This record gives sequence, structure tokens and C-alpha cells, in this order.
Amino acid sequence: MISVSSNTFSDRDVKLDLANLSAEQTALDIKNLNLYYGDKQALQNITMSIPKGQVTAFIGPSGCGKSTLLRCINRMNDLVDICKISGEINLHGDNIYQRHVDVAALRRKVGMVFQRPNPFPKSIYENVVYGLRIGGENSRRILDEAAETALRSAALWNEVKDRLHESALGLSGGQQQRLVIARAIAIKPEVLLLDEPTSALDPISTLTIEELINDLKKQFTVVIVTHNMQQAARVSDQTAFMYMGDLIEYSDTNTLFTTPLKKKTEDYITGRYG
Amino acid sequence: MDSLNLGRHISGQFNEDLDRILNQVMQMGGLVEKQLSNALSAVNNSDKELAIKVHQNDYKINNMEVNIDDECTRIIAKRQPAAGDLRLIMAIIKTITDLERIGDEVKKIAQVALISVNKDQKALLYNLDNLGRRVLEFLQLTLDAFTRMDVESAINNHKNDEKVDREYEALMRQLMTYMMEEPRTIPQVMDVIWSARALERIGDRCQNICEYIIYFVKGKDVRHIAMEDVQAL
Repeated sequence: MISVSSNTFSDRDVKLDLANLSAEQTALDIKNLNLYYGDKQALQNITMSIPKGQVTAFIGPSGCGKSTLLRCINRMNDLVDICKISGEINLHGDNIYQRHVDVAALRRKVGMVFQRPNPFPKSIYENVVYGLRIGGENSRRILDEAAETALRSAALWNEVKDRLHESALGLSGGQQQRLVIARAIAIKPEVLLLDEPTSALDPISTLTIEELINDLKKQFTVVIVTHNMQQAARVSDQTAFMYMGDLIEYSDTNTLFTTPLKKKTEDYITGRYG
Repeated sequence: MDSLNLGRHISGQFNEDLDRILNQVMQMGGLVEKQLSNALSAVNNSDKELAIKVHQNDYKINNMEVNIDDECTRIIAKRQPAAGDLRLIMAIIKTITDLERIGDEVKKIAQVALISVNKDQKALLYNLDNLGRRVLEFLQLTLDAFTRMDVESAINNHKNDEKVDREYEALMRQLMTYMMEEPRTIPQVMDVIWSARALERIGDRCQNICEYIIYFVKGKDVRHIAMEDVQAL
């Protein structure tokens, strides 16, 4: 006698309760985050929890604050003079905006990849081990191992293993972006921030990176900002829709793209915004 | 159609595509309704010519299903619809499948007009006609709700299937009794039974279409859930 439980088909889509994540499930807990560029408020009271080991996407029209929010997560906005921030971002329970936090150490835990690939004008190998070298690691064996592991994780090893000491600038755009991801993950961060990582790439390189993102979430918490809604739908587990500095809707990706609760979200993802 | 909020896509071409598909679904619904109404009058008036016409016209419904499916496939490939647009396309694809199957059931009903019945057996057809009228009304209300994507009306209409089922069961009991009393008439009565069965199936398919309307508007999948839960929406 075969018994079929009623939830047989829904088991693979176990939804997290995003409003009530436990401490073990949470990678980042953002509380009442406000950000001002001079007098202009760019983020308005953002409160959300980003689950560990999953891909969370921020979507929204240009200027909605999604990249600003992403940059807050490793304090990149500290570099902007007129920027004022209030509220908390807790990384595994510790507020990264406390005074005593070492920003360089934070950025080792929270890596970031930008829109355009930005390899250093060095060899492929030196690019990947750069973070480890400036962290004081000099053992050739450890650096070699780390480079191979990172390049394999970034799905680039097979393409570059025979030319590790050639210039990284000779790689294609898609390969450069994967190299930059390898550089970011070589120092084993906890969170990886991706700011429109495929917007400068061709469709095939884009798919390669998307496939890579899916693999990366097994080791890291990934937060991605994308203009491409279909990409958010394909790669992320959770999606947050932002509009004019507000977090309008945040839910699991399947729900957000089939039955969004808010009209603004519906209008944006169906191309009625404007 | 404005209640559907279809006219507000940034892409005017997308608006036109959706509008065209919806018009085609309505035309298909209108044709199916006309076919059912013709089949019922053919049976009621033993009009063999009309019954044959119903049979011949079924290909139009089949062609419409193929064309609309094709258009929906193209929209999915070109536009990657999401949220309400995606639910609308899914609702359309499923609705036209049900409409096409209703067309097939209508052919079975028209079959009864081709059998010869004597005066006594006419009474059987009278009851079949009653069931037929109820189902036709159910179909009309369903298509009306679809045209306006009126979820209230879809929810109200959803329960009509129960009434159809009850009437079908009553007719079945009557036909069984008739067969037991007059075994000679079994072949003719069997034809009536097939056609009553076809009407009952049309009721089920109308109920399905109501469920797709609810899915499109509310985003809730109400298939295979208790009637009370649907009514509580």
C-alpha cells in the first residue's frame, strides 16, 4: 500500500517565515534602517531579516534604494561624506554600525562584487589570492590551495588552470566577473553581496553566473541586486521589492512573482510601472 | 476589460496581444454556448439536420483552441509574464482546454437527436432538456463571469455544479427505472444516459472555469478544496 502525504508535491518549496526567522536561520537582521544623502532620505525605516545560506534579491526601479541598501551591508556608504545612517544591521547578532567595529574585518566577512568586473592589473593567480596576501598569508601551499578552491567554486578553474600567471585583463568579461567572484570568496566571507553582477555581460555569461550563484548559496549567504526581474525570479529564494526608499514587499520569490500582495509590486513586475 | 487593468502595460504591443487573446477566448465561449444551445434544440425537436450541423461545427472550436494556445505560447516566450499576467495566461490556457472538451461533450448530446424515439419515450427527453437548460444557464453565467473576470459571480456560480449533479442523479434514477420496466428500450435509454452524462461533465467543466477565474483574480488555487472553503473566500 503506497501512502501519499498531502504535501508530497510542496515539500521542495519549504517556505521560511521571513518575519519570524530564528537566530540560526538569520544571516542579517536589518532593523529600522534610515539613510540620508544630505537632506534626501534614500532609505526609509527598512526592517527585514535575510536568511542564511539562501539567495535574497533586491529589485525595484532605478533610484529606489536597492543598491544603497546593499552597500549598507558592508558599510560601503561610509565612504560617502554626506551620508547619514541610523538603525541597525546585525550580522549574526552583532550590529555592524557599532563604533568599535573594524570595517576592514567586516568587509572580509561581507564580500562584494560590482556591476562591472574590476580585476586588478595582475595575474589571475594574484587576483584570487590578493585578499589572503594582504591578510598576511604567505605560505605558497595555502595560497595555491585557496586559489584552486576559489576558482573551482567560481566555475572558472577549468578555463584558466593552464594560464594562472597570465594577466587577468586578458580574460573575457564573463570570465573576469567570475574571477572577481573567486577573489571575493577566496577569503571565505559569510555573506556575498552582488550588485547587478551580470548587467555588463552577454546572455551566456549571465547564465553561467546565475548557475554559479545557485552553487554559491551552499557555502555563503548571497544578496543580489538586479535590474533583471527574470533573473531575480530564476536565482533567488527571497525577493524584496523596493520603491522610493521603502521596502514595499518582501516574500519568497515564488509568491512574489505569481501572487504579489501589493499593487505596486504587481505593477512593477508586470511592466505597468511608469 | 478595464477592471482587468490590462491596458496599462508600458508595452502597447503586450496590451494588444492580451486583448486579442481575450477576445478570441470570448468568441470561442460564444461558439461553445451556441453549439450547446443548438444541440439541446436538436434533441428537443428531434431535428437531425441541426444535430449534424452541431457535429460539423465542432472543428471550429478545436481550431480556436489550437490558435489561442499558440498565441499564449508566443506571449510566454516573448514576454515572460509574471503575477497577474501570468495567472491570466494560465487561466486562459486551462479555460480553453475545458471549452474544447465542452465542445466534445456537446457532440455526444446532439447524438440523441439522431435516435428514433416513440411518444412514450419523449418524456425521457423532456427531463433531459430540463437538465440541459440548467447546464446551459450555468455555462452562460460562467462565460459572463469570465468576460468580466467577476470573482464574486464566479464564487456564486461555482456551487451551481452541485445543483446540476443532483438533477443528473434524479434523472439517472428515472432512467434506471425505465430500463427495468421496459428492457426493450435499453439501447435508446442508453443514448439518453450518455447525453445526460455529457451534460453533467459540462457542469464540472464550468465549475473548473469558475476556479480559474478565482485563481486569476485572487491568486488562490481552489481546485480540489471543499465547497464551503470556496464560498468562504
